[in-house]
Amino acid sequence: MAGEVQLIDLVKRFGDVAAVDGINLEMPGAEFFSMLGPSGCGKTTTLRMIAGFERPTEGQILLDGSDMQFTPPHKRNVNTVFQSYALFPHMNVNDNVAFGLRRQKVSKHDIKSRVAEALELVQLTGLERRKPGQMSGGQQQRVALARALVLKPAVLLLDEPLGALDAKLRKQLQVELKALQQQVGITFVYVTHDQEEALTMSDRIAVMSNGKVEQVAEPQEVYEEPKTTFVADFLGVSNLMDATVLTRGGEGHTRVKVGEFELDAGRGEAGVESETKIVIRPERVRLEDHGTTGPNRIPGMVERPVYLGNAMQLLVRLASGDIVQVLIQNAGEEIPYKQGDPVTVYMPAEALRVLADTGTAPIEAA
Amino acid sequence: MTTHASASERQSFNAWSRARGWLGNPWGRPRFLPAITWLYMVWSIVPVLIAIQFSFNNSRSLTAWSGYSTRWYWGNVYSVWGNTGLHSALFQSLKLAAADVVIATPLGVLLAIGLARWRGRGAGSSNFLMLFPLITPEIVMGVSLFLVFGHIFTVIHTSTLAQILGHVTFSISYVVVIVRGRLFSIGRQYEEAAADLGASWWHALRLILLPLLLPAIIASIAITFAISIDDFVISYYLSCGGACDTVPIIIYSTARGGPQPSTNAIASIMVFITLITVVAGYLLYRVFTRGESGSGSMTGDLAAFDL
Amino acid sequence: MYPKWLWSSFSLPGVVWLVLLFLVPMYAVIGVAFGSVDPILQTPLPAWNPLDWNIGWMDQVLHELAPGGIYWAAVVRTLWYVAISLALCLLIGYPVAYYISRHAHRTKATLLILLILPFWISYLMRMLAWVNLLSPGGYADTILRDTGVSRLAVDLGLITQTNWLSGQSATVILALVYGYIPYLILPLYAALDRIDKSHLEAARDLGASPFQAFLRVTLPLSKTGILGGSVLIALPMFGDYYTPDVISSAPSTTMIGNQIDYYFHGGPQPTVGAAITVVLSIFLTIMMGYYIWAVRQASKQLETL
Repeated sequence: MAGEVQLIDLVKRFGDVAAVDGINLEMPGAEFFSMLGPSGCGKTTTLRMIAGFERPTEGQILLDGSDMQFTPPHKRNVNTVFQSYALFPHMNVNDNVAFGLRRQKVSKHDIKSRVAEALELVQLTGLERRKPGQMSGGQQQRVALARALVLKPAVLLLDEPLGALDAKLRKQLQVELKALQQQVGITFVYVTHDQEEALTMSDRIAVMSNGKVEQVAEPQEVYEEPKTTFVADFLGVSNLMDATVLTRGGEGHTRVKVGEFELDAGRGEAGVESETKIVIRPERVRLEDHGTTGPNRIPGMVERPVYLGNAMQLLVRLASGDIVQVLIQNAGEEIPYKQGDPVTVYMPAEALRVLADTGTAPIEAA
Repeated sequence: MTTHASASERQSFNAWSRARGWLGNPWGRPRFLPAITWLYMVWSIVPVLIAIQFSFNNSRSLTAWSGYSTRWYWGNVYSVWGNTGLHSALFQSLKLAAADVVIATPLGVLLAIGLARWRGRGAGSSNFLMLFPLITPEIVMGVSLFLVFGHIFTVIHTSTLAQILGHVTFSISYVVVIVRGRLFSIGRQYEEAAADLGASWWHALRLILLPLLLPAIIASIAITFAISIDDFVISYYLSCGGACDTVPIIIYSTARGGPQPSTNAIASIMVFITLITVVAGYLLYRVFTRGESGSGSMTGDLAAFDL
Repeated sequence: MYPKWLWSSFSLPGVVWLVLLFLVPMYAVIGVAFGSVDPILQTPLPAWNPLDWNIGWMDQVLHELAPGGIYWAAVVRTLWYVAISLALCLLIGYPVAYYISRHAHRTKATLLILLILPFWISYLMRMLAWVNLLSPGGYADTILRDTGVSRLAVDLGLITQTNWLSGQSATVILALVYGYIPYLILPLYAALDRIDKSHLEAARDLGASPFQAFLRVTLPLSKTGILGGSVLIALPMFGDYYTPDVISSAPSTTMIGNQIDYYFHGGPQPTVGAAITVVLSIFLTIMMGYYIWAVRQASKQLETL
């Protein structure tokens, strides 16, 4: 069983509201697939439909080619790690993990060995007699994983499993989960709102908004080549600026005008509209001495420097009126910019991307 | 610019401000509040303690203390144990309470789960129907049941059976309200997890939901028992006379006529039984929720407890 | 994951029970109130069909409940008793609930247990305790007499003679307050406890004195609690008859509940008793309706914040 999941024209309506508004996704087996988006984008609803807890209003869900329309959740070869773990409070770890096996009428002897195997997989050997209430969040999370994985499902669904943990533990578990997925070799469908998490762990990401999929691609592509404003803004920080299209030269050869300044956009292709947006990542913007001339350079003034420890973040106001965020890695030498310093902002053409749509970007904080 | 106050001025200022500070202390509490509260507690509990004390009086008086004695509890024909009337009232009370628990608990638990999850037509009105007995004055309920059993459907005339039926009728709502609180604090997550792991709905119900509801069921058993034992109006209206009399009825009749220490004694026994039941229920509740944290603990259930 | 028919089937036994043993008897009261009396056996004949309703008895009862009728005194007395008792309960209960919820930190658990204790002591036992204390020679009676309070009460017109158990309204009110106040304090405490401390801190931060903060923040926010608790005890108090019976048992302190009880256990005329019960129920339903309306108004106010 490869663990292949197909969502075809999937729609879910609650009353008048469409939580999921027509999505098509294909997840071939053994992939770490993430669904990323803000709350309310429909990712959790989609996950619950795959698990069987919600019935689709329209569309189909295929698991390894079989339509799941009439299959109740307890008969699907899919297991879930819930956001709140949902470990049975009145049972200890052993009974929790063995629960599914007992439903399958596995022999007592096999149950014992498989439970031990699963606990070893998540590094919790020895805690069989403990009750969930006596364990830390990280331990509970691992029990939830073991409980699901012991049944050897074809697909594992994870609903924001790391949300309740502190930052350090989260980072540690991200690495462990990724390693686990590769070790076990099944499909993980992972739901999260944390874009850094998705970028770190996934083989592919589906960025969702308002019940629709904005883009499905590998992490690098989603980050470097966002197709819509939403994706550009949701992944990492992006500097979005309004621009007017001057010349269209196909992919990578667009010339735009920002304020009075003309820039070459070396990525992306402009759409039909004359008004569009350009985007550049903060770490690609370069600051040069005031008065430097050359292509793609706009004069500006440092409005606010922010010290981040591993980097310096500078908010620079361009002569065109836009504010651009610049990120300079802390390489040991002093970064000499202070508030009020005049600078020249250089946005290399190969890092500047023009977007095909103006999309619905979330409101940026000032 | 600094002002120089004379030494004496400074002294009186200090004394005055200190006094004002004590009275108007922004962080202190008004002194009369704890006084009122503790006075209230004394006023609330002490009269009953005195009544219990006099049940151990060595004489027939309820106002003059003549020393300690258990004569009103057992040993002679006027004592609770010796007097058949008092004796049978005690057993009748316990009988009614036990029957009430046995019938009302399953009905109430099923109704609680059903009402919490039912989404169809009739769910709203059924919920309203369940709440109604909680706000109906006892005399209205007593009168209605009396008319039904005493005059209309006299096949069940006023009797122990009628009393049991009456008790169950007002008890069901209490069970529902108590179990519902626990149900809300549990949520659907555990049953969904069970289904996800391969349990059919029947298994999810039996292995997950019911065990998790057990603490609330125990609490409702204790409370139903306690309320039933102390019920007066319904038992009185549906009583068949001597054999059906419960302890509250005995207390009522003798308190008006001429209370004796044996009345105090039997009332004290009831207080004792009720308190034991409630404490036992509470302790069992704690035992069964041991090892749960946050949602699932009693604070979680009490917070979810709402009509 | 659950079959669609499951939850309604779970509810079925309970609902059937309540319909048969709660709704039907309620209708029986109406049927008897609007029915007739068998002339020979003197038993009530309920009229099940509204078209057969005989308003004769109801008419007579309404007549007697109106000013000038034989029940009028009891009606007025009941209203007074409930009003005064409720006021006293709030006067005593609110500070206690306030103290326990806001200020009693180390003693909170103990106080809560003491608060809940009266719930588990039979109501009649608590009344019995006062009968003991107030009967001639009892502790309370002796103290009140010796300190001159009894004499003072007579002089002030609160009681007619120094025997507190001789059919005195003041004693009945005392008993009602004693009996019902626990049922008020607990919901009041719950409502006060639920008030977010940060509201008060904000008020103090903005310059309000403790008293002002109480007046402008705590009191309005506890309004629903006050209303809820008041309804919770007023409703049963209107139907109370055993309290006057036990603590006074004199015609000078009868409440409307006593009238109803009389027609069932005194000189049985179930039809009349049923009719009075119907009137009482309608009155209480109106009160309940007002409460639900008031709560909705209050929560609408909170929503607009």
